[in-house]
Amino acid sequence: MATLLRDHDNMDVSSDSGSEDGFYPRSSSFHLSQYSRPLIDFVKNEWQTNSKYHYHSASSSPSNTSDAPRWVQITLSLIAAPRFRRYVLVYVILLISCWACWKQVLSPRLEEHAALISSLDVHTKDQVGGWFGTNALPQFDDLVKIRTLDPSLLPSDTKATSGPSQRRLIVVGDVHGCKAELVKLLEKVSFNPNNGDHLIFTGDMINKGPDSLGVVDLARKYSASCVRGNHEDRVLLLRHEMYAANTLTADDASSAVDSKEEFLSTDYQERKLARQLTHDQAKWLDTCPVILKVGQIPDMGQVVVVHAGIVPGVPLEKQDPASVMNMRTIDLDTHVPSSSKSGMPWTKLFNKHQSLLYSDLKESDPDAKASTTTVIYGHDASSSLNLKTYTKGLDSRCVKGGKLTAMVIGDGGESSTVSVKCRNYMDG
Amino acid sequence: MWLSWLSRSLVLLVAIAQVRADADFMSVRTSLAKDYSGKGGDPGEKYFHESTFHHHYDGRFASNTLPESESAPYLSALIQTYLSTMSDIGAETWIMHGTLLAWWWNQKIFPWDSDLDVQISEPTIHFLAEYYNMTEHHFNLPGVEGGRTYLLEINPHYVVRTTADWRNVIDARWIDTSSGLFIDITAVRKDDDRRRAGRKGAMMCKDKHRYEENDIWPLRESLFEGVSVKIPYEYTKLLQEEYGSKSMTQTSFEGHKFNEDTKIWDRIRGNKHLSRLRGRSLDELPSRTSPLEHRLS
Repeated sequence: MATLLRDHDNMDVSSDSGSEDGFYPRSSSFHLSQYSRPLIDFVKNEWQTNSKYHYHSASSSPSNTSDAPRWVQITLSLIAAPRFRRYVLVYVILLISCWACWKQVLSPRLEEHAALISSLDVHTKDQVGGWFGTNALPQFDDLVKIRTLDPSLLPSDTKATSGPSQRRLIVVGDVHGCKAELVKLLEKVSFNPNNGDHLIFTGDMINKGPDSLGVVDLARKYSASCVRGNHEDRVLLLRHEMYAANTLTADDASSAVDSKEEFLSTDYQERKLARQLTHDQAKWLDTCPVILKVGQIPDMGQVVVVHAGIVPGVPLEKQDPASVMNMRTIDLDTHVPSSSKSGMPWTKLFNKHQSLLYSDLKESDPDAKASTTTVIYGHDASSSLNLKTYTKGLDSRCVKGGKLTAMVIGDGGESSTVSVKCRNYMDG
Repeated sequence: MWLSWLSRSLVLLVAIAQVRADADFMSVRTSLAKDYSGKGGDPGEKYFHESTFHHHYDGRFASNTLPESESAPYLSALIQTYLSTMSDIGAETWIMHGTLLAWWWNQKIFPWDSDLDVQISEPTIHFLAEYYNMTEHHFNLPGVEGGRTYLLEINPHYVVRTTADWRNVIDARWIDTSSGLFIDITAVRKDDDRRRAGRKGAMMCKDKHRYEENDIWPLRESLFEGVSVKIPYEYTKLLQEEYGSKSMTQTSFEGHKFNEDTKIWDRIRGNKHLSRLRGRSLDELPSRTSPLEHRLS
């Protein structure tokens, strides 16, 4: 390798344009060296190519005769050496990439870690004057807050010794009325309700897509479980309002059924769907709780299904229902959740909170995992499928031409995700 | 002598101002001999006036504020009677601003606040102006002899749809004629300027608050001071935008501390927390005695 490099050095010298090896940077270094190297270096005989002379010539170079002090000479000749310059280049590149890596990856991660830790520190709570969840939670009519899944539907604690799982939970992300894709997905996971499979929806089963009513009917047929998404919430609130105002049976065609519908312009689609729902369909959707407590699953701890998210450190009973259906990000000081897309995703704070809890308990409790909580949710199509240790985001943008995803949880808590491609229904 | 002079000069003033000022003192006075409305210092174009002694009292009906310990039941009855009246009429209304924040904390009026804010939609204010302007509503109240009469007064400037009319940002008032306490009612309108700029669903009030349709509607049903109330759909977002995140988490405000066990704002005096005792239990609600003739839906 060393001799090879040296040969290259010498090619610098012998080539007059530097282009014959097709390596332009070297040719430019050659031109530069023309001004800094002694003339003797350009002699084209064996004295140059033979290594035994080479060292000698470098140490007792004729530049000794110049007026500059010796250390300057040495520095100059070092800088002049092409190999040195190449190494400098390599080191500079290395340094820049190290810096970039620190700046782009490591430093933000460390900062985020520190921010999350400080956000969960109880001293921060005193400093900012309190955290989200201390208020007396408001009551809402026509809204079921929490339900617990029938424990007999849970997969068994131990893995099946042979053959497939006896009981499975199939948790499906935001369907948005894409019934064809839902049918395809259920086929793909070989869903069989008679064989111990239970279907759970993470909310937003309706609206936007082509067949909301079909999805509701399918869910009812399989006695599926569900949670209330922001789209169910809006449509059901509108339906209750219309019912109270006696405008539910109005004809779709006459859009100006009352002054209010003339006044509001953006919720036409939701009003239409609210009218299309049959009494039974609406009643079934009304039973979907904001929070579904699934129960203990090995390796996942306490499993909870919600549509959007959960504020860490606040008991399920005290979660603000509107936030549970709408949140995306969370304020690190006050833990106030927000539907805004800019800010710290709630999942990061939640995962940090649970991993701190787990490492606290691990020492004393052999079954520490059982005390942690895993949240399965939908809603956040922008981050698509988002699987982390304690949060499982299943909305993979089906209605916009993405995928429809199911999380299959089998005996012993073995889980996997299965998805099918979707048509884009949001064009035009 | 001076009284008749006052009344004559007021009549004259009203004749000049036409509908530019609120209903004049002499035509609505209940027991006061003198007008404390504070309209003397206000420009002629301003319809509603804040009293000379406190900006949350109507000086046509009171000459002084109530002691803080007594104002709570008055305010409570004020919002209860308003909400039940609107609900009976079928007029859609919801709470906003400080009242929404108070609801967020414990569904009760803040003990330090005598301000109550509600909103209605533009079609609703047209209906109220047409059928209910200057109507009196009498209610029997538990423990209050003779009950109380409330006045619904619409600001005729409600038809002016611009924020440039900054003197008349309040579109209507629900006034307790026994104490002078009132509720400010503002109408939420389509924001034509922003809609022309392509913001579908843009809404505004004359007090320059701007909203999106989807932040307010569909309204949620909840309880406030023990009665049914409507709440804007994105209540946490609206509170965060108006008052910041800390408004929903900070447990000490205005010399009061939120007791996390009782969920009541306790007054802090020195280092001692004084638990506020609410005089009335919430299941005793005001009941209407005067009939309502027009319904909206």
